Amino acid sequence: MGPRRFLIGFATLSALGLLWYGATSVTGLVSSGRFPSPIETYTAFQQIAWRGYAGGTLPAHALHSIRLVAMGFAVAVATGVPLGLLMGSSRKAEALINPVFLLIRPIPPLAWIPLAILWLGLGDAAKIMVIWFAAFVPAVINTFSGVRSIEHPVIEAARMLGTPPWRFVMEVVAPAASPMIFTGLRLSLQASWTTLVAAELVGALFGLGRVLNLAQQDIYPGMILVGMIAVALCGWMTTRFLAFGEARALAWRHFEAKPAR
Amino acid sequence: MAAIRFDKVQKYFGRGDKRMHALSNINLEIEDREFLAIVGPSGCGKTTCLRLVAGFDAASEGSVSVAGKPVMKPGPDRAVVFQQFALFPWKTVRGNIDLGLRNKAIGFEEREKRIADVLKLMNLETYADAFPHQLSGGMQQRVAIARAYVLDPEVLLMDEPFGALDAQTRVVMQEELVRLARVQPRTVLFITHAVEEAVYLADRIAVMTRRPGRIKELVDVKSVRDAEKWNRFERIEDVMDLDSFVHLRTGIWRSLREEKNG
Repeated sequence: MGPRRFLIGFATLSALGLLWYGATSVTGLVSSGRFPSPIETYTAFQQIAWRGYAGGTLPAHALHSIRLVAMGFAVAVATGVPLGLLMGSSRKAEALINPVFLLIRPIPPLAWIPLAILWLGLGDAAKIMVIWFAAFVPAVINTFSGVRSIEHPVIEAARMLGTPPWRFVMEVVAPAASPMIFTGLRLSLQASWTTLVAAELVGALFGLGRVLNLAQQDIYPGMILVGMIAVALCGWMTTRFLAFGEARALAWRHFEAKPAR
Repeated sequence: MAAIRFDKVQKYFGRGDKRMHALSNINLEIEDREFLAIVGPSGCGKTTCLRLVAGFDAASEGSVSVAGKPVMKPGPDRAVVFQQFALFPWKTVRGNIDLGLRNKAIGFEEREKRIADVLKLMNLETYADAFPHQLSGGMQQRVAIARAYVLDPEVLLMDEPFGALDAQTRVVMQEELVRLARVQPRTVLFITHAVEEAVYLADRIAVMTRRPGRIKELVDVKSVRDAEKWNRFERIEDVMDLDSFVHLRTGIWRSLREEKNG
C-alpha cells in the first residue's frame, strides 16, 4: 500500500471518528442508550482491559476465542481438504460421499448449535464442533472444484512420468488445486468466526461472544461496541495470518517474469 | 522388431448413435531410432494415434505395442512432449525434470548427473532454478523436451510441440531438434499439421485422410535427405530452398489438399 492510499484511508477513518464524536457527545443526536459515545466506549474498554468483565480481561476473552477458532478451523482444514482432494481425484469416492454431503450441506451451521450444546455442553468442545461443521463445507467444495479444474495435460504429464498415487496427490494435484484450496480456506476462516461468535452468544462461559451477550443483558452499549471491535480485530488478525501462509505457499505464482530471451 | 507398432487399430469415441469413428484400420511400424511424422487435416485423428501410444486412450480394436509390449497405461518409457508444454508451474525447471527420475527411484547422485547433462544438452543451465512462467514459450518447451529426454525413453512422443510458439522461436526449436536427433537419436513419433516442419524433421511421413483417419500414404524423406545431403546446411531456410525439399513438400501438400476439398 502506497503512502498516498494510506493517507486517504487514515483521513476517511478520522472523519468517521469525528462524525461519531459529533453525533454522540457534542450534539447528542444519537442518545447514548442506543449507541455509545467514544468516551463511553473508552471507559468500557478500560474496565474490561484492566479490571475485567464477564469473568475475565479482554486479552483473556480474545485469546480464548482465537484459540477456539484456530482449533475448529484446523480440524475443518485437516478433514475438509483431504476429503475434497479425494472426491476430486476419484469418481468413485465422489459418487459415494456426495449424496451425504448434499444432504448435510443445506443445514445452516448455526442450526447445529443446539445439538452441539446438548451433546457437549457449554464448554469448548461444542464450539469446536460447530466451527468444524461450518468451516468444513467451503474447504471441501473449493478443494473439490480446484481439483476438477486442473488442466488435463498437467495430469497427463504426471501420469506419463510414472508418478505413483501418493506423490501424484501431494506433488501434482494438491499444488495445482492450491489457489482454489486457499480460496476455500479464506471462506472457512470467515465462517469459523461467524459461527464462534454466534455459538458464544447462545451459550458460553467465556470468550468474546460471552462479553457481547452479557453486555446486552446489562444494557451496556459501550461494552457491546468494545466486544464488536475486538471481534473485528481478531478476525482481521487471523485473516492476515492466513494470507501470509497463502503468499508463502503460492510464491511460485508471484515471481516476476524475467524478460524473454 | 519395430519400436512402435499399430496393428489393425480402430478407434471409436462415444457410444450408440453418437459413436464417432476416429481411426480406421491403422497399420504402421516405426523403426528403432526412426523419426516419423504424422500429418493430416485437423480432426483426422493424428493426435489420437499419439495418445494411443502414450496410453492415454485405448484402441477400440487392434493393438498398439512399443518394443514388442502392448501398451496398457502411460509410463516413462513413452515420454510425451505436449503442445501446451504441461510443465508443473509450482516446480522449478530442475524440479520438473527431476520428477520422472524420482519416480524411477534413481539415486540422488545419478539424478544430479543426468539433470546436469540434459540441462547442458538443452542449453538450460542458467535456468535450473527458475519457475516455468519466468521463461519464454520456447524455453518452456525446451524444459518439457529435457523432462522427456532425461528419462531415456524407448520412444519420444511429440504432439504438435511447436504449435504454440511464434514463428521465429519455432524455427529455432526445429533446428534444435535436428541437432538433438544427431547427438542423441531417438525413436520419435511427431504429430504436426505443418508440412514443411514434417519434411524438415522426419525420416518418414505418414499422411492421413479425413475422419475416419486412415493412413493414405507413407513418404520416405530420409533417402532423399541422405542422397541430397541436406545435412550440409545449418539453417532451415537453406534446406527449404532445395529442389528436393520443395518437391517433397509440394507432393504432400497436394495429397493433403485432396483431403480438405474432397
